[in-house]
Amino acid sequence: MNRIVFFVLACACVAAVVALARPASASAGWCWPSCSGYGYLGPSTSTNTGCWFSSGEVCSYYNTWFNVGMAKTCYPGCDWNYNTTGVVLYGFENHDRIRGRFTSKASFTVYAQPGELGMSGMLRAQVTWYGGPASQVNAGAIG
Amino acid sequence: MSTRVKVMAALVLAGAALGAGVLVTRGDATRDGAQLSNHGGPSIAIRGLRSKLAPIKTGNVLAVRHGRALYRLTLGNGAPCFGVGQATDIGSPGSVICPRGGFPSGGDPLLDFSVYEGTRHDLRELALFRIEGFAADGVAAVEFFRPNGDVALTVPVSGNVYSATSVPKGPITGLAAVDRQGKRLWRSP
Repeated sequence: MNRIVFFVLACACVAAVVALARPASASAGWCWPSCSGYGYLGPSTSTNTGCWFSSGEVCSYYNTWFNVGMAKTCYPGCDWNYNTTGVVLYGFENHDRIRGRFTSKASFTVYAQPGELGMSGMLRAQVTWYGGPASQVNAGAIG
Repeated sequence: MSTRVKVMAALVLAGAALGAGVLVTRGDATRDGAQLSNHGGPSIAIRGLRSKLAPIKTGNVLAVRHGRALYRLTLGNGAPCFGVGQATDIGSPGSVICPRGGFPSGGDPLLDFSVYEGTRHDLRELALFRIEGFAADGVAAVEFFRPNGDVALTVPVSGNVYSATSVPKGPITGLAAVDRQGKRLWRSP
């Protein structure tokens, strides 16, 4: 009886380890600075990965992305309407152009699919500092 | 006052506060009275967002302009979001913004979904690629500015939304909300 219980427990542990090690989704993903934290995006910030702008931008690797998303906090401060003084552009880029939408407002979430920006194919997801002080953002893209 | 009465009073106050909070953050009215009169069509199912952080199940189409659908959306917790997408695929917005504190407000009468484009690596000058967005009641038009302050384009607002098919070439550095008399109500930056 003890052997059976031990065997069942062992199988359960192996299954749990396999399940935890497997990505939650089969789709590709990119996050900055991580998938659960915020980073400061200012004029000198760079992922040093050949983004459109050599500084003041973070970007993903090339992929056929489904969308790019971003959350922005009130750093360094919000007014009554949750506006900050840091302006960022979020969207996509390729070898020919960079496209996106501006925001200076603290947002829970903003999303844009490549087609919304008139883009398709292999793209980099990007978030770019455009003006004001650094913004505290969490950016990501799913493919 | 008995403990029972105190508890009841506390529950009533908490319920009232919660209700007020929900009302002012629903997106049609904010704490300073700014609002969107356009509530759109019937509630429709929203699909295809693939977002765990912003679970949006339902929304309303506020308008269809120039082949684009403009939506008022609602998060699972009741917080307001707004979206735009292809009018040929109603119910599937391709872009969503969930602004903190809701929208609109007196100090924030525009929620701009316009798309900008840059083709130079050495200059952060961006031109318009597409114009669309949402505007609070009282906003009659949206102005887009050149770096020198000149107005490059004025887009009328109708039904709390604005949209334009053709955009001017050249850099754009800001936008403003104006009323019927042409008075600037708000400007960014």
